[in-house]
Amino acid sequence: MSFLIAQSLINGVILGTLYLLMAIGFTLAFGVMRIVNFAHGEFYMIGAFCALIGVTWLGLPYPVTLALTIVFAILMGAVVERLVFRPFRNDELSGMIASLGLAMILQHGALILFGPDPQAFPAMVTGVFKWGALIVPKSRALALGIGIVILLIFYLFLMHTRHGRALRALVQDQEVAAVFGVRLEIMYPLGLGLGIALAAVAGGLMAPLFGVSPFIGATPLLKAFIVVILGGLGSIPGAALAAILLGLIESFTSSFISASAADIVTFALVIGVLLVRPAGLLGRAEA
Amino acid sequence: MKRTTILAAASALAMVATGAVAQETLKIGALVTMSGAGASWGNGMKRAAELAAEDVNEAGGLEVGDTTYQVEIIAYDDSYKANEAVTAANRLVFEDEVKYIIGTVGSAPILAIQPITEENGVITMTLGFTAQALGADKKYTFRPNPTTAEVAQPQIDWIVRTQDVKTVGALFPKDETGEAIAKDLGSAYEQAGATLAATEFFERDRVDFIPLLTRIIAQGVDAIELDGNSPVTAGQIVQQARDLGFEGVIIRTGGPATQEIVNVAGEAATEGMFVHSAFDPGVASAKAYEERYVETYDEPMNGFSPFFYDGTKMLFQAMQDAGTVEDTEAVATAYENISDYEGILGMMNWTGSERYGIAHQLDSPFYIARVTGGEEEIVARCTSAGCE
Repeated sequence: MSFLIAQSLINGVILGTLYLLMAIGFTLAFGVMRIVNFAHGEFYMIGAFCALIGVTWLGLPYPVTLALTIVFAILMGAVVERLVFRPFRNDELSGMIASLGLAMILQHGALILFGPDPQAFPAMVTGVFKWGALIVPKSRALALGIGIVILLIFYLFLMHTRHGRALRALVQDQEVAAVFGVRLEIMYPLGLGLGIALAAVAGGLMAPLFGVSPFIGATPLLKAFIVVILGGLGSIPGAALAAILLGLIESFTSSFISASAADIVTFALVIGVLLVRPAGLLGRAEA
Repeated sequence: MKRTTILAAASALAMVATGAVAQETLKIGALVTMSGAGASWGNGMKRAAELAAEDVNEAGGLEVGDTTYQVEIIAYDDSYKANEAVTAANRLVFEDEVKYIIGTVGSAPILAIQPITEENGVITMTLGFTAQALGADKKYTFRPNPTTAEVAQPQIDWIVRTQDVKTVGALFPKDETGEAIAKDLGSAYEQAGATLAATEFFERDRVDFIPLLTRIIAQGVDAIELDGNSPVTAGQIVQQARDLGFEGVIIRTGGPATQEIVNVAGEAATEGMFVHSAFDPGVASAKAYEERYVETYDEPMNGFSPFFYDGTKMLFQAMQDAGTVEDTEAVATAYENISDYEGILGMMNWTGSERYGIAHQLDSPFYIARVTGGEEEIVARCTSAGCE
């Protein structure tokens, strides 16, 4: 029993960190642009394909591929912001529908380019770390390690750089931020680009674990959505808390009860939190 | 009035002209899964029908009675979902007016479309593994591929006997297919002297199996069974089970999917896995079909594809035997009456009267293969009587 508890704890933390990468990008895009980006899952898928192309087609080292994926995703975010989302800046509903359309275009584009079949992704590392009966697959430890490093870099950027402060100011109040000289023409594309880059790098990290196909974006999008609803839309600390919570709940209920029970508990929790705290765990109520 | 007369004369002329040339189009629906986890099966089925159609079209068409038909395949994607299958079936039957459908891939979709197809006398050829797909009251539904019910027992007997397996864990999708296979496998392992000790059910779009596998492996099982899962999901289960340090036997009792599993999980994780195989590359006609498939589509062939190629060719023969493509009741009877058909996989016969109440289940030889270096290596040859 203690083996199951410890193993579930490890699995839950790994899962939570991965959800966090997805959710922070999602909530950042919302916080900055006020757009619920339903295409977020498709950027996860594109990140996974970028990793696949880098590692298996071009033969690049995995870390280099991930770095290129981030750069590519930031640029792509800037382009998407200019072409798709800019006209809907103050129109949440239209922006959301535009993002749904973008999601379909991206998914079907990938389907035409790569076909429906899953693509083989070589294992980056094999084997396990063992402490007594406890096991952590090296592949997951690698994803976890890189994920934490990226989150730390992102945290430092957000807290200790001029652009990071500008982004936080935008999330808090767009008009006041603009009055204080935050340049919206730079910060909007940057905010969306960073959000998309986090999704893409999550895709690149997950590709060796879960495989690559045009349809892999839906589940991470749903998880990111649950996390930001739980944590509070637009709240990054809320997303962090909710992601770890969700990872642990999923892991413990799947291991001790069943997979179906995990879904029931997760959604019951979302409904419960929304009833008690409609703005989420750490979200701010709209004025 | 004059215009009506002219129109009538023109129609009469057109009918005479058509009769003289007697070259018509025979539309066959392919209602299969072309997107999502089951796409490799669906594409294998659709392409089997296309290749069978290509054969007859290149030979000048399918001669049935006095008419020669060019065969056209009309394909729709059901995404492995019952509701989408019903939409596509309505479209095929009432708009495209097809009388023959290759599909569906899934069990829930075939059960969902049967009220439409059986009612309208549309012959369907399904892959769906559920026992309920076939029945005495479903005279237009046929299954050209063996299911777990046909192949499980001989294979499980052999594996339990030779690999010293006592307890088995398995993960199944939470739907009609998964439930049916879990039940069949549970009794098959019991009969072979082992137990299906740990089972888990999950939603089909799940990709993270670590928590479920942790629970299964914690129960100390000797083997993990993959039957019932789509090729992609099976590959993920293999990869994640090995990631968790599972060193026991991995078995896939039914559903050819080795190539896709190796693609997803990699050669190292799949080494030594025992799989069901319907395909002996030593049989020249089977090998030739695989080569033609790969050359045409530039993708590895799914193991179910040859069954649907043979099934479609048998259907063409049934149309010729019945002398009609319109009277599907006569075609269904002629289809049932085909025996000792020399297909690309070997000798084919209809079976299933005892199990399903109707002999609409194709019986064919099958094999157990061990995966070595990512390739299947046949280690036992089986019939429904047993494996050697």
